[in-house]
Amino acid sequence: MTDLGRRIARRLSDATFERVAAVGAENAAVNRPRIGRSLLELAEERLGAGNAAVVIGAGPSLYRRRSLERLVAVDFTGAIVAVDSALGACLRLGIVPHVVVTVDPHHERIVRWFGDPAMVVAPADDYFRRQEMDPHHAEDEIEANRALLELVDRYGPEIRVAIATSAAPAVVDRCEMAGMRLYWWNPMYDDYEKSDSLSRRLHAQNGLPCLNGGGNVGTAAWVVSHAVLGKTRVGLIGLDFGYAPGTSYTRTQYYPELRDLFGERFTDAFIHLENPFLGETWFTDPAYYWFRDVFLGMAREASCRTFNCGEGGVLFGDDVPMTSLEAFVEESRA
Amino acid sequence: MTEFLKGNYELKVDIEERHEDAEASATDEFERKALSRLGGSICFVSKKGFLWTGDKSDGSRTTDRTPAE
Repeated sequence: MTDLGRRIARRLSDATFERVAAVGAENAAVNRPRIGRSLLELAEERLGAGNAAVVIGAGPSLYRRRSLERLVAVDFTGAIVAVDSALGACLRLGIVPHVVVTVDPHHERIVRWFGDPAMVVAPADDYFRRQEMDPHHAEDEIEANRALLELVDRYGPEIRVAIATSAAPAVVDRCEMAGMRLYWWNPMYDDYEKSDSLSRRLHAQNGLPCLNGGGNVGTAAWVVSHAVLGKTRVGLIGLDFGYAPGTSYTRTQYYPELRDLFGERFTDAFIHLENPFLGETWFTDPAYYWFRDVFLGMAREASCRTFNCGEGGVLFGDDVPMTSLEAFVEESRA
Repeated sequence: MTEFLKGNYELKVDIEERHEDAEASATDEFERKALSRLGGSICFVSKKGFLWTGDKSDGSRTTDRTPAE
């Protein structure tokens, strides 16, 4: 292992702007006539009992540690905030999140997490067959999509979506078609105090709050849970920012990109870390490592206490201690 | 350099951009494009808090508003 991965990670803040700003602003312009409620209105709904929330990501620990089955078993009554890619897994177990968060501007991929009504054949893009987030899609894409369409149609009217203005119009169509209630926000793209700031310009156009998303939808969901819903104890499951021991590099999020960039040297970009809860060595790529670093920094500034209850991954530190989901829920009741 | 300096006079000598500078700039451009493929799905803005609801007097939206038809 070299420090190549860490060196790349340090440059991903600017690289992300390059990746998402133009398409996010373009989607915001298309979505503008459809923007209704502001994300801030979620605060008025007082979702979930008490001060606790569970944020559900779609990392491999969700399946490895059966976190969703355990969430059902402990009868958690607080707020449940899920990322878009975890929605299918939640609904299959009868967990209807109070809020689902979506932000990625990708034009074809993200709608699949809600069931894509336009999909009739498996696409050439192998993202869903390769990704680690929902194994159901890897087995039979067409059948997984059909089942998800049905589930989202059934539960849609009970679900609120915290949707970024950067979301692809196909995602907006799908959420509206399923009867979901949409609460809009702008991603914070840059320093809003600068006069040429894109965040400031979007806010001036649509009046929506700008949310600092920390690089990924999982962190954005955590921000929603404390900065919008006002929860003061937040438990995380499935927010791994890494891959379990033994995972093939080919099944990691950025494998094609790392392979293109570094050729045979691509394995040097991965970073290995020991997970203290399980005593296992997980590994992570530069993007996930950046998410981890940013999250740990944000957790230091947050007005909530955050616990990683996922029993996996690389997200842990003084401000994000690891504990079991059962202990978190028990202490939240006290 | 040429985008920063403009003059209303003619130089008597040809000034060429150094080969190394041009190469470094091409490499930077490649790296910038390449790294953007590894970036996240949303930005992170350092030291700007979690939520910005606008300057106090700009009428930030907090109340009901139905989508346009």
